[in-house]
Amino acid sequence: MTEHELDGLLSARELPTLPADRLKQIETAVTADLTPVKPLAPAGVYLAGFAGIFLGIWVIGCVIAGQRGWRALSELQKLGVLAPLGACVALLVFSIVRQMTPAGKHVRSTAAFSVASFALLLVTMAVVFRPAYESPFVHSGLVCFRTGMAFAIPAAMLFALLLRRGAGLSPALTGATAGGLAGLVGLAVLEVHCPNLNVYHIMVWHVSVTLACMIGGLILSSVTFRRWRSNS
Amino acid sequence: MGGSSERQLEGSHLDPEPSGITIEQLMLRYQQADAGAATALIEQLSPQLYRFFAAQLGNPDDASDMLQDTWLRIHRVRHTYRAGEPLLPWVYAIARRVRVDNYRKRRRMSMREVAVEILPETPSKTEATGELSRFDQLIADLPASQREVLILLKVNGLSLEEVALATSSSVGSVKQKAHRAYERLRSLFPSLRAGKGAVL
Repeated sequence: MTEHELDGLLSARELPTLPADRLKQIETAVTADLTPVKPLAPAGVYLAGFAGIFLGIWVIGCVIAGQRGWRALSELQKLGVLAPLGACVALLVFSIVRQMTPAGKHVRSTAAFSVASFALLLVTMAVVFRPAYESPFVHSGLVCFRTGMAFAIPAAMLFALLLRRGAGLSPALTGATAGGLAGLVGLAVLEVHCPNLNVYHIMVWHVSVTLACMIGGLILSSVTFRRWRSNS
Repeated sequence: MGGSSERQLEGSHLDPEPSGITIEQLMLRYQQADAGAATALIEQLSPQLYRFFAAQLGNPDDASDMLQDTWLRIHRVRHTYRAGEPLLPWVYAIARRVRVDNYRKRRRMSMREVAVEILPETPSKTEATGELSRFDQLIADLPASQREVLILLKVNGLSLEEVALATSSSVGSVKQKAHRAYERLRSLFPSLRAGKGAVL
């Protein structure tokens, strides 16, 4: 059986025809509340918007919370943290902008690459930071977690403002991406602010800001989308 | 592979629209609340969208329900179409999302029904697809992603690039899925021919 013969069979399949009354129904429903809409701004505008929000809140966070952590880091640690963090942020920004419109290019691959770069960030952190004894592990950790969230939540709200005009075909993925990006704002602020170089402190309390935001974004976007769909 | 990003519409379909207008131009007019353009677009795209659903579901009622859902969703998110981009991948990306949402909704509903009522006798797969020819049954037995790619390429006539955009994957991945679907059909087809030669 050749490909040509299979093509012939596929195109010769008898499929039911669309009922004319259903077509009329659709036309009536669509044209009933027809109002002009403003097309979505070019992707570059949204790329700049997401990147601008990230950088803006990061800089504000560093100014408000202080940069003691940055001064405590060695050159290798600075490079080991900032390089994968920057790659992860860039990929997430690309992914989220592409998720805003149906038929966005490479939506899944950019999301997968950003997860890979986040994994690389974790591995690098585990390598460049050393374990150290820390008596108030939970207390100092919670302080860092709260500080990270204090900057991640406003970032998430601003990202949601930008996202509200998007199509949201995969709300769970979009929510997780936006949440992850907001969480990275918190993580980036903490890496500059927190002078605690204990690897366990960083892996548990700094990274948990990103994970908490990612899960929060996933849940919130799924619930919001379900409500939006049931209302419409 | 058939299909191009800008398809010329036939004048007869578009009366009173001038002939030679593309579906992308119609979409832009639809965004500006041109009811004629919206109607023309629905008339132009609905048959092939309906075929997309019917070819995968086999149930005409479900297919027309999903078609309606697709147009309502297109209407809600029509502002996300950007001028200069091909329209078909945008439309089919929404259509496949509607299909996925619908499938999940049905699965949730059926799970609830099974939990509170006496389990009915489920019809066998052959009975359920009794109306389909054996070739259709083979298509229905393909993995969902391969079946979808095959239908978009061969039934709806989209190009590889358009299918890649609509499914948010790469051209290579689309080619691979189509190739695997063909291999599977080819391996199964001799038995089909032996069992029922009337298909050809």
